[in-house]
Amino acid sequence: MEAFLGKGNGGDEPPPAATDDPDPIGELRRLLLVPEHAQVAKIQERLDDPEIHAEDVSRVLPEAITIRAAKDRELTRVMLPTVEEAILSSVRRDPHVLVDALFPVMGPAIRKAIASALASMIESLNETLERSFSVQGLKWRWESWRTGKPLPEIILLRTLVYRVEQVFLIHRESGLLLQHVSATSAGVQDADMVSGMLTAIRDFVADSFGGSREQSLDSFKVGDLTVRIEQGPEAVLAAVVRGNAPPELASLLTETIEAIHLEQAEALTRFQGDASPFEKSRPRLEGCLKKQQLTRPERGPGARTRRARAFLRASLAVVLIGVGVWAFFAVRRGRRWHGYLDRLAVEPGIAVTDSGRRGGKYFVTGLRDPLAADPRALLAGSKLDSESVVSDWKPYQALSPEFIVARARRVLEPPPTVTLRAGNGVLLVTGTAPHSWIEEARARSRGFADVARYDDAALSDADLSGLEALRRSVEARPISFDVASSELRPRDRERLDTLSRDLSRLAALATGAGKTVQVTVIGRGDSSGTEEVNRAISRARAERVARALAAENARAVTFVVRGVGSSEPLRREVSAEDRELNRSVTLSVAIAGGTRADSR
Amino acid sequence: MIQKKVCMLGAFAVGKTSLVARFVRSLFSEKYHTTVGVKVDKKIVAVGEEQVNLLLWDLYGEDDFQKLRTSYLRGSSGYVLAVDGTRRETLEKAVILQSRAREALGDVPFVLVLNKADLVDKWELEDSAIEELVGQGWSTFKTSAKTGGGVEESFLTLARRMAGST
Repeated sequence: MEAFLGKGNGGDEPPPAATDDPDPIGELRRLLLVPEHAQVAKIQERLDDPEIHAEDVSRVLPEAITIRAAKDRELTRVMLPTVEEAILSSVRRDPHVLVDALFPVMGPAIRKAIASALASMIESLNETLERSFSVQGLKWRWESWRTGKPLPEIILLRTLVYRVEQVFLIHRESGLLLQHVSATSAGVQDADMVSGMLTAIRDFVADSFGGSREQSLDSFKVGDLTVRIEQGPEAVLAAVVRGNAPPELASLLTETIEAIHLEQAEALTRFQGDASPFEKSRPRLEGCLKKQQLTRPERGPGARTRRARAFLRASLAVVLIGVGVWAFFAVRRGRRWHGYLDRLAVEPGIAVTDSGRRGGKYFVTGLRDPLAADPRALLAGSKLDSESVVSDWKPYQALSPEFIVARARRVLEPPPTVTLRAGNGVLLVTGTAPHSWIEEARARSRGFADVARYDDAALSDADLSGLEALRRSVEARPISFDVASSELRPRDRERLDTLSRDLSRLAALATGAGKTVQVTVIGRGDSSGTEEVNRAISRARAERVARALAAENARAVTFVVRGVGSSEPLRREVSAEDRELNRSVTLSVAIAGGTRADSR
Repeated sequence: MIQKKVCMLGAFAVGKTSLVARFVRSLFSEKYHTTVGVKVDKKIVAVGEEQVNLLLWDLYGEDDFQKLRTSYLRGSSGYVLAVDGTRRETLEKAVILQSRAREALGDVPFVLVLNKADLVDKWELEDSAIEELVGQGWSTFKTSAKTGGGVEESFLTLARRMAGST
């Protein structure tokens, strides 16, 4: 239009042919368009002037915001950073402005939070005191003892048991029920009436006790049911809790009501009685149906008491059995211990100086001869646990006869044929022993400190007694001869050989004992004939035997030959046998050297 | 199902309680009247295809000792004004209550029930007074808690009007 008008004003075109009116069309255009032209110029001016522009916008701004806010949330989104920035810079510049503005809001909120925290603390304290001396309390103490957890922790754990049984979402203004969930499968009838009544009671409390609607009833208790109410601007959440709800539940309810307000803001604002949009919030309410279950299922109070009693009885029985078992073992252990001490007391070479019980263990101290029985073996024999007994044995020498004997045995190592006895400082050695041992023992016995006298007078020398026996045997075997003969009969050669061998053994024993052997070979004749002849022949007979014996024993034995004729008959001659016996040779053995050998 | 909060208003002993007692579902005892001052009951009526759940807040009758708690009115979609037909002063009370309710709730639907209609002999209300109210656009019903006459109708009318107002 501007261009069009400009053209008109410019007057480039030649005027149409008219003398009184040089440009009638231009004139007409001017007449027709002047008012519009002025208007357009004005509009242009307004558009160019920012001051007027701002004034225009300010006139429509509230309406514009209202229209846009109703359409969507874009305005909020766009404004948010600016508003945040503005608040931030306001705080930086002067925090008091915002503090003053928020104080009326924050004050009650903080008071409420503190009051609620204190209330829950007092509640828990009351609970604790109440239960301390009850069956429950004893049960907790038992549990604490059993699990090793501190008692306060157990009480805290056990008192926090609860169940959210119902949750109501209530329209705040009208008290109408928006949504209701119940933990019990049977459900609760007439939740709508309950919802109404609950609202009425809250109103009643608020009216009666002077609080504003902001400071309203937020919890009340009926028996072991608590109704917790969390209030939002448009709706109220009421949770019916059985038991003692933890503080987290209050936070959960707050979060839930906030979330519902956020998600269903529009439905809440427009609520006119149709609760169906709030079906959407059902999962949120169900999320509040929390519970912390007891370790055992809920039952009636009667059953609880019965179970408590049964539990007590069972505990008592367990304790009694425990005490019984403990007592049995304690008594048995005590008896075994005393049995062990008695054994120690009678055990030679062991002297108990102290015994008793210390630090849960038995102890025994005393003296023990190294030769005494091993106390560990006795302990094992007593069936006591060796771990439970601490022993301390100091070595000593027992002076009782058996220990003198035992020590002597260790030193002397006597053969089984020797018996040792002790008494009054005398060690008496009896029995039979080889000659070498007798000598050795006599020497060793000089080292015995606890023996005043070593007496082996009654001890036989086994070697010497053997010698004696042999001597008797050798002397008792006459070799007979035929009448008037000094020749050995064939049957006597064998006897002579045996005799010779026995004589060799005798000589060997005697030499071993440090003695010498002299054998007198005595020849005899019978009483017939003349004595002269008899003597000659008796001597010949003796020499004959001596020769035979000397063949093997000449080195160890000294032979002496005698011919006694009939002067020393072995037997008085009555019969032919007597005469034959007297026609013989016998031996007489003399053992010399060494005291005892001499004495025999 | 649509829910509506409805207040039952009326002077002391006009028979509100007996009016609803026979026709509603009750959960709470009468004690609430004297303690909390209100008892919430429920009545379901059919408006066309729709079931309307009326939550009746039966407010304790106003007398010299107990004033109406206006906080209980909050959020009501409608109300019932009850009058004892045998006591003229209860109608005056109803008029006062109506103005209070209107202050609190604005122009929400309500009905006026003239109770104890069975006691014809003792009837004190003049038809002219009623007609005047009808002329102002009030819906009035003669009811009898004893015979049940007019009760259903009055609730249904209120429900219908409230449903229409949404």
